[in-house]
Amino acid sequence: MNPQQEFENRIAKTRQAMRKKGLQTLLIFDSGRHNFLRMNYVAYLTDFISVGPETMLMLPLEDEPTLFLSPAWDTERAREESWVKNVRPMEGFWNRLRNNVGKAGLIGREAMNVDLHDELVKTLNQTPANAKDILENMARQKSEFELERLRRAATIADAGVEALHEDARIGLKEFELAGIVEYKMRSLGAEDNFGMVVANNHNQALHPPTDRVVQSGDIIIGEITPCIGGLFVQICRTMVLGRPAPMVNEKYAILKTAMRLGLDAAKSGAPASDIAAAINGTFVEAGYEKYCRPPFMRVRGHGLGCGSFAPGSLEDNNQTELEEGMTFIIHPNQYLPETGYLTLGDTVVMTKTKAQSLMRSSWELYVKD
Amino acid sequence: MIFSRHSVLKRGCSTWDRQQMPQEEYQARLDSLRQQMAQQGLDALVIYGDNYSYADLCYLTNYFPKVRGGIGIIPRSGPISLLLNIGSRDVPFAKSLTWLDDVRASGQLGRDGAEVLKEKGLAQARVSLVDSGKGFPLPQLEELQEGLPQVQWQPSHSMLPQMRLQKSAKELAALREAGRVLNEIWQGARERIGPGRKEYEIVADIDRLARDKGVEDIRILAGEKRLQPPSFKMTANVGNHWALYLAIQHERYWTEVGRTYVSSDQPKLQSAYQKAQEIVTQMAMQLKRGNSIKAIDETARNQLGEFYATAGTYGLGNGIGLNQWEAPFLSEDEARQVGSTSLGATLLNENMTLALRVAFETEGKLILFGDSYEVTPDGPKSLTGK
Repeated sequence: MNPQQEFENRIAKTRQAMRKKGLQTLLIFDSGRHNFLRMNYVAYLTDFISVGPETMLMLPLEDEPTLFLSPAWDTERAREESWVKNVRPMEGFWNRLRNNVGKAGLIGREAMNVDLHDELVKTLNQTPANAKDILENMARQKSEFELERLRRAATIADAGVEALHEDARIGLKEFELAGIVEYKMRSLGAEDNFGMVVANNHNQALHPPTDRVVQSGDIIIGEITPCIGGLFVQICRTMVLGRPAPMVNEKYAILKTAMRLGLDAAKSGAPASDIAAAINGTFVEAGYEKYCRPPFMRVRGHGLGCGSFAPGSLEDNNQTELEEGMTFIIHPNQYLPETGYLTLGDTVVMTKTKAQSLMRSSWELYVKD
Repeated sequence: MIFSRHSVLKRGCSTWDRQQMPQEEYQARLDSLRQQMAQQGLDALVIYGDNYSYADLCYLTNYFPKVRGGIGIIPRSGPISLLLNIGSRDVPFAKSLTWLDDVRASGQLGRDGAEVLKEKGLAQARVSLVDSGKGFPLPQLEELQEGLPQVQWQPSHSMLPQMRLQKSAKELAALREAGRVLNEIWQGARERIGPGRKEYEIVADIDRLARDKGVEDIRILAGEKRLQPPSFKMTANVGNHWALYLAIQHERYWTEVGRTYVSSDQPKLQSAYQKAQEIVTQMAMQLKRGNSIKAIDETARNQLGEFYATAGTYGLGNGIGLNQWEAPFLSEDEARQVGSTSLGATLLNENMTLALRVAFETEGKLILFGDSYEVTPDGPKSLTGK
């Protein structure tokens, strides 16, 4: 499906849902704070990622959609990059809104500030219905158009891991380690990165890098999340500089088992909680039951935003059914008292029957003598 | 105003240089703020910040959210609490970046914030919300207010931006250091910008230069005809011209520069770039104590002539510090773009810091020049040492 067809398809589906809800106009807002933890609704319908502060897509049931945005100097980029033909500075939105738009729905309320929302309600003379479920339901299953970008992002993430393996060395500072990964991925076109790379002989958790100097025997853990076309892919890996203590290999093997069992549990039609149960079960069996809760871990994986965040967080009470086309990360990242925090995880895509990893990097603990 | 795609995570070097910005600095700010709270009859402040706009929160706590947001709860007396939308395992790291003892993880800032206010005996108090970045997610704000039905809410979004207008000696030192680092990055970058290289490859080089110098965050916009954020769509090769906007956050403080690469065989563009530099210099000459803020805009208008409209679209400048754009603003329109209802100041004063820039199109290309300045008793001084 080419980009124009993809856009027309999404718009057609959105309008179908609008009809069901009795909406004449849909207002879709973004504040320019693109975040992998939630959906960017405007980007989903326009393929345009705004820089903020205000972007509003007005989608009438029948007429052409219009993209309003600020700053005004960014409208030209929006015209070139967006699927929407009509692009206008944000000022025009308020005039347009004063015309009768009929019953309105709003998507992106969560990203609005109270003043903007109040002004919207006042100008519309109605409180628009929260209609975010329209796009969140539609976007649950990634299209081939999205998967193509995700695969490209996955290749970039693998390259980031490889660069770290090649260039990490004793004497660098943590932020320089992170810079190695960042540089490689940027050089290949990555737009952004939810990336944390830290090193210690006993890591407490992942966090942004400090100026700590890397030493022999350090365990380097990384969560690397490049973005292509607004879509994020995440990979988690662990490496050791110098010879690791036997304990590290032994404990890391638990993560590998948990990862394999988590991946096996990800079956189409199964609840997301099955993945968490398989991973937690592995740690329980290894004697780490009391570590299967915060602060020793958070969740066993999660959706990745821009498109849908479905299936949400992989935890015990998540009954969301896994569907073909969903993409998410499975990561049995875990603090263990003997080794500290260890990381391993792949972004996967659900096929008709099961989860398939998008990553090519080995799950093995990488040791650099 | 120059907006740019903000980072999903502030993933640069995250440390606290306690010599550069000691705890006493924050205590003095807190004391001053509490005096104002007493004058206004306020019992507490709730200060929101996130990784997009953290200035108000950071000014008192030294903490800046890496991802998502947080609130600081400041009673008129007693300990301050910091509620951050992070996991509990992230609290020890967060504590390494702030002088506060009470740092808590919260998945629901609104609901949990209401509980903390109750815990402090503030369920029936006069409380002011400070959110000058206008980032407090609406559902969370509603939860906070619904959880405290007897609180009298009073917005005071300008209280902290006013305190931040004139920088302290420590802040100026931090800004000069950020300017020095930025200048080094630019000096390195200019050697890497040249014909035949893909735009995103050069962006990667500049990003690396910055990260290796320990910046906390970076903003890069670049292009031939207009400024664009980094994108996988930036596959064009750079030709004989490239405009670059570069801003860094270093030890919490932002500085920015605008530069244009023009090859030596483009005399008209060279001349236009020279003109842009001269105009910014003229604008900077207005940075004197007692001068009207609006004089900067007037100078630009007189100098730019027909190019003023384009330059105005990009914005001619703004205050800079803990925020990439803050008071004083050069025009009401600029202020409005970031949710401020006023310029923040009508007259310039010593120790204010501002970014000034000129961007216009000529020969179908974008020309950009800009720099960051402090207002000193002797007039303007570039923070980047230009």
